[in-house]
Amino acid sequence: MSEESEKSKVLSGSPRITKISLIGQVSAFFRYNIHALFTSFSALWKTPFATCMTAAVLGIALSLPCVFNVIYKNIERGSAQWNGASEINLFLKKNMPEQQIQVLINKLALYDDIHLVTYISRHQALEEFKKMSGFSKSLNYLDENPFPAVLVVIPTEAGKNLAGNRLLVSKLKNEEGVDLVSVDIEWIAKLQAIVSLVVDVVIAISTLLLISVLLILSNTIRLNILNQRVKIEIFKLLGATNNYIQRPYLYAGAWYGFLGGLLAWLLTIVMVKWLQGGVSQLMSLYQIKYNILMMDAKDVVLLIIIAPLLGFVASYISVKQYLVKIEPK
Amino acid sequence: MILFENVSKIYDANFIALQGVNFHLKKGEMAFLTGHSGSGKSTLLKLISLMERPTTGKITLNGNDISKITGNNISYLRRHIGMIFQDHRLLMNQSVLENVGLPLLIEGYTAYEIKRRSLAALDQVGLIGKEKYSPIHLSGGEQQRIGIARAIVNKPPLLLADEPTGNLDPKLSLEILSLFESLNEMGMSVLIATHDLGLIAKMRYRTLTLKSGEMINDGLVRGGNV
Repeated sequence: MSEESEKSKVLSGSPRITKISLIGQVSAFFRYNIHALFTSFSALWKTPFATCMTAAVLGIALSLPCVFNVIYKNIERGSAQWNGASEINLFLKKNMPEQQIQVLINKLALYDDIHLVTYISRHQALEEFKKMSGFSKSLNYLDENPFPAVLVVIPTEAGKNLAGNRLLVSKLKNEEGVDLVSVDIEWIAKLQAIVSLVVDVVIAISTLLLISVLLILSNTIRLNILNQRVKIEIFKLLGATNNYIQRPYLYAGAWYGFLGGLLAWLLTIVMVKWLQGGVSQLMSLYQIKYNILMMDAKDVVLLIIIAPLLGFVASYISVKQYLVKIEPK
Repeated sequence: MILFENVSKIYDANFIALQGVNFHLKKGEMAFLTGHSGSGKSTLLKLISLMERPTTGKITLNGNDISKITGNNISYLRRHIGMIFQDHRLLMNQSVLENVGLPLLIEGYTAYEIKRRSLAALDQVGLIGKEKYSPIHLSGGEQQRIGIARAIVNKPPLLLADEPTGNLDPKLSLEILSLFESLNEMGMSVLIATHDLGLIAKMRYRTLTLKSGEMINDGLVRGGNV
């Protein structure tokens, strides 16, 4: 009755056509959809094995992108800690007088991107080396202290990131009396490049898996449509529109997606929990206590929305391809 | 109600199913459509229910040209035509009541209204008490009655029946035709395609006779099989 005004165009003299109010039309629209929503679920319920198989395939296919997402989030969090060099060593020229060194220290203290400057004199450097190396007696035979004075610079948070770090290093290199600037930021760049590559690979694999979900669901719905050809023909003969007939199939796709999404969530929890043992063991070797990040509420909600949406789209593709072509004979 | 003006239907390979057919079925009129197998009876009914389109000519239903109707309008039109088939076309995995209520479900009636009207239609065809059965457990005659109940449940102005008595014994055939008569008396236009001239003769209604796609007679006929 929601499309009553259209009907009246077709058969305007028919004795039984009555004008339906807007509320009646809206109410009929909701009734259609609620009916289709429940009948589609009931149809899936009647074939539990087939439904579980399809949901399992979707769950596995969707769980992989979810696990990748969790892994990516953890790598991102871990690598953020090594985002830049935490300290920069400035090796000063050997002949640089103490007074000039103090001027340099005062100058560096004024830098916005330097948090702290620690001075290690040539003598302190030698003594430290003696303690660490165990060659203290041998070093006594040297004519001259071979170690330069060192300024240990700790950048601020802004100076710790890769770009800020590079900028700071270039400024420090130009300071008078600085012989060598030692900072290992190349490995950070390499790590970030690897992370970026991993992200690209994950996106590519996830895209392929999502496409496979679309194809699997589309094919399942196609088989459902072909199996119910007779029923569809009868419905069309009785005056059902394509929109009316397609609704249960669209909702069935959404249900499949929803069930697959739920399963993917559970599988992701299981897989990440399983990985957690290995990660903790690895981290303990580096004396790091690392709590692995799980899917947060936002991710779960997103999954539960995207999965049925994918199912809906997959069904829509099949419905448009096959259902409209079925005509009563 | 139905007006055919010089309607022809030619299928692929130049098979002429109908040629230059003209007739007018008035509102509230009941008529038979007869002829040999392949004479074009089913094609004519299919043209009215828009399962086929005429190659040439014009078909008017209630003053509206339906020859060029497309999209959802086809569905809306079919909701106003009760169709009865020789093979019943019932959903065997649904109950009798669910089968009968399908047209109302499609039109968006409430569950209460669907049940009420479906039971009334089943009462009209004498199947009260069997609404919970599956059609597969009922006889051919009963299945045909379910088809009739489904066709009349939304009180369409036009009823089309394609060989409705084809699989029934003579007694049951007469009962079914009496049912059509009573529906016609309630104001429904009824067009029944059948090749059983004996039955037609007993009923004494207007008869349209087709032969090789052409309408060769429009009037009363005498008994016997075509």
